[in-house]
Amino acid sequence: MAGDALRAQVTARWQEGFTRLNRAEPGISGLIAYSEAWNIATDFLRPRDISDPSDAPDLATVKAAFDLINRSRRLPVMLETYLDAICNQFHLIIQDIDRYLAEYEQSGDTAVVLQLVFRLVMWYRAWAPIEELGPTIRAAYTLTFQTRLFSILPPAFVRGFKALCASTLVPTAQHAPTMWEAFEVLGMTDRYEGIIASVGYERIEQYVRETCAGKWDTPCLEALRAWMTGQIVPWMLPMYAKGALNTEDARGMLQNVGSRFDFHMNKTLCDLRTSEIFDIIIDFPDSSGALQDLKECLQRVDQRAMLVQALRKANRKRLLHPGADTKLILSQYVATIRCLRIVDPPGVLLFKVADPIRRYLRERPDTIRSIVANLVGDDDSGDSLVDENEPIQPLQQLEIDDYNDPNWDPEPIDAGPDFRTNKPSDVISTLVSIYDSKDLFVKELQVLLAQRLLAITDENFEKVEKERRNIEILKIRFGEAALQVCEVMLKDMTDSKRIDSHVQSQKASILHPTIISRHFWPSLESSDIVMPGQFQALQNEYAKEFSTFKPDKRLRWLSHLGTVHLELQLQDRVVEADVPPLEAAFIELFSEKNIWTMDELIDGVGAVDRPAALRALITWIDLGVIKEDEVNTFRLLEVAEEAAPSSRIASVAVEEPMMSAAQQQLADQMRLYWKFIEGMLTNLGTLPLDRIQTMLRFAPGYDQTIEQLAGFMEAARREGLVVVRDGMWKLNR
Amino acid sequence: MEQLTTSLAPPRANPKPSVTNASQQVAGSVAKRLTNELMTLMMSSSPGISAFPKSDGNLFEWVGTIEGPAETIYAGLSFRISISFPANYPYVAPTIKFDTPCFHPNVDINSGAICLDILQDKWSAVYSVQTILLSLQSLLGEPNNASPLNTDAAAIWDTPDAFKMQLLKHYRPLKDSA
Repeated sequence: MAGDALRAQVTARWQEGFTRLNRAEPGISGLIAYSEAWNIATDFLRPRDISDPSDAPDLATVKAAFDLINRSRRLPVMLETYLDAICNQFHLIIQDIDRYLAEYEQSGDTAVVLQLVFRLVMWYRAWAPIEELGPTIRAAYTLTFQTRLFSILPPAFVRGFKALCASTLVPTAQHAPTMWEAFEVLGMTDRYEGIIASVGYERIEQYVRETCAGKWDTPCLEALRAWMTGQIVPWMLPMYAKGALNTEDARGMLQNVGSRFDFHMNKTLCDLRTSEIFDIIIDFPDSSGALQDLKECLQRVDQRAMLVQALRKANRKRLLHPGADTKLILSQYVATIRCLRIVDPPGVLLFKVADPIRRYLRERPDTIRSIVANLVGDDDSGDSLVDENEPIQPLQQLEIDDYNDPNWDPEPIDAGPDFRTNKPSDVISTLVSIYDSKDLFVKELQVLLAQRLLAITDENFEKVEKERRNIEILKIRFGEAALQVCEVMLKDMTDSKRIDSHVQSQKASILHPTIISRHFWPSLESSDIVMPGQFQALQNEYAKEFSTFKPDKRLRWLSHLGTVHLELQLQDRVVEADVPPLEAAFIELFSEKNIWTMDELIDGVGAVDRPAALRALITWIDLGVIKEDEVNTFRLLEVAEEAAPSSRIASVAVEEPMMSAAQQQLADQMRLYWKFIEGMLTNLGTLPLDRIQTMLRFAPGYDQTIEQLAGFMEAARREGLVVVRDGMWKLNR
Repeated sequence: MEQLTTSLAPPRANPKPSVTNASQQVAGSVAKRLTNELMTLMMSSSPGISAFPKSDGNLFEWVGTIEGPAETIYAGLSFRISISFPANYPYVAPTIKFDTPCFHPNVDINSGAICLDILQDKWSAVYSVQTILLSLQSLLGEPNNASPLNTDAAAIWDTPDAFKMQLLKHYRPLKDSA
């Protein structure tokens, strides 16, 4: 039964199909007419090799045939057959593509690619169905063609395409409009949008690098924008503003893509400046243009973190290493401060970059000295850290947020938790804030001032005024109270002058001492030398005169400081020299007898260490006044001798500076800790090291590790202050 | 009845928590004062006197050392003392006694208790550990025989030889361990 039903159904279908194709024509004539029409139509539509010329078909016949097919509702099938035929014929196109690309690979000429594109357009046009078939079929055709085309285009084509696009960036390119049209026809503008954009990006990158690298004096951004408008925008027009009717239209279409290109330009410039930032800072202030650019770019492009990273890396690599001079690091730090303030006024970038520099500087022993030397204008190079135009302000202390401040701004979004807004503070405040307190600076300042004041002689006494002026300026920064000691030191200088002129008026002396108030001067290196002979007589005479003038005061000579102008009358010659007192003392001894041994000489001036004595003697040896006959025996050369090659060539250590303030502070602190250790050992008897460590908790500011304490105790043991047995320490008494 | 006995019972040993808090705060300021005194004492180099907290956990118990002043009968001897600060120091004087037996008219030879006016009724908050130690040091050389705590010692003070003999009989040199 089922078979019957099926049979009936098939019969019905067949009948229906037949009726449709036969269109109620008599017999099967309708069917015959239909097959004819089908043949005409497929033949017309069949994709042909465009290289073969073919006769133009009779359009009227074709139209009639399509009509017939349409009426038989066989058009969809027709279309399918047609599209299949295209796929089958595509090998013709592939051959063409391969041929052109091979040629391109060989010559590298983008014109070949362009020809290929035009050729492809020809294929496309040749195979396209006629307009009369309606847009649906056309769209189906285009889709099939493009899908097929893109699936077979080899990577080489993409390369060539990119090169072709790039070649159109040159303003002389003639064929541009037709090319863009061809791209449009083939759907390449959409398909390869990324590639076309990357061509634009690459061009921008290249141009920015070419024109802006190393050019920091003027801002580049304006010029770059002008270039974009003049060069890139016209290039973009046919692609992104196709079909724009007027400029207004075009602008609207370009807005999106234009801002992308502008962003890319900013990013490129930002990358470039980021990579150059260290040198830009070195060049500051000649590089302010670049900094302006950077500022603008950073507002557009969020690459602040990268900038920080790059600068920190560059600093670590190029600045913060033992090979760099402290002064150099300081000036670079100051330049960094100035530069980053331009780029980022709130100072977040600066804070992040400065942190490692500050930490590094804190470890350097001569940082304070360098800063202070710069403050007092010590270096005459004129390369001052401080901008002279910057107004002198008092040091700024850390401010707590003022909750009543109407101009308060929240901290920038990328500020770290320990970020402190350093409001427009001046450079010196920033430098001083490297350390926790300004006391270190004040101390160092005193040491430095002492050195400079002691170097002043009667001839250049006006320098005292210069120092005074300096101190007055520094008072504004550090406050009156902090510099009181300096004030006393300066007063000592003028008082000395006054006292000296008084003493001289009573009893003329060739001695002009500087009388200092011991309590207010930094601890000067002490020495026990006693001036022999006439020097001592001079000192005593002066001291006597002084004590009649100031009965309640007593002079204590620091014989090792100062200079002596000597005129040595020898048998055959007169030697004049300005020498330190020790040298003078030695040569004075030679006036007693001609030959001295080293030990005798040292005894003759009281106590002096051997290197210093040797140094003093070498001065005279160099002047040809004495000679070392045998080791440690010196003879006065009353008659000049040929200078023998000196056996001891100045193997003399450089003069050591007075203790720096930081070292001094450390020593002070260790002295304090020692008092505590002494106290606990006196009262508690013997203690193990860890007990001492915990008990030192009572000492203010104790922050040493137990290892450091162990080292300290070991040093104390070597000095015989303590003894240790079985890990128990006790006082040695 | 039971209520009555409880009310008559001595106050509980443990003070209330709030009281503890308050006393802790006070203890904080006392500790600060004691820290400062320690610092001053360490930095002033007064010869022959010294003191230091017994342990790092308790700032209220100190150990002191007094050397007998030169040219007195105590010269060359060192005495260890213990200083115990009350919680309301410096309004109340610290309790001080000799740990090393000290034969002295104003010191109890057994308990080590000291009879010194500034440690009792003449105490003032301006005194410090340092002034106490200095007073004790001078007390060794100049006893107050008018109010002796050790009458035997007061009796033979004027005969130095006999006094010295008694002194050395009781004296024990300092040991190293605390």
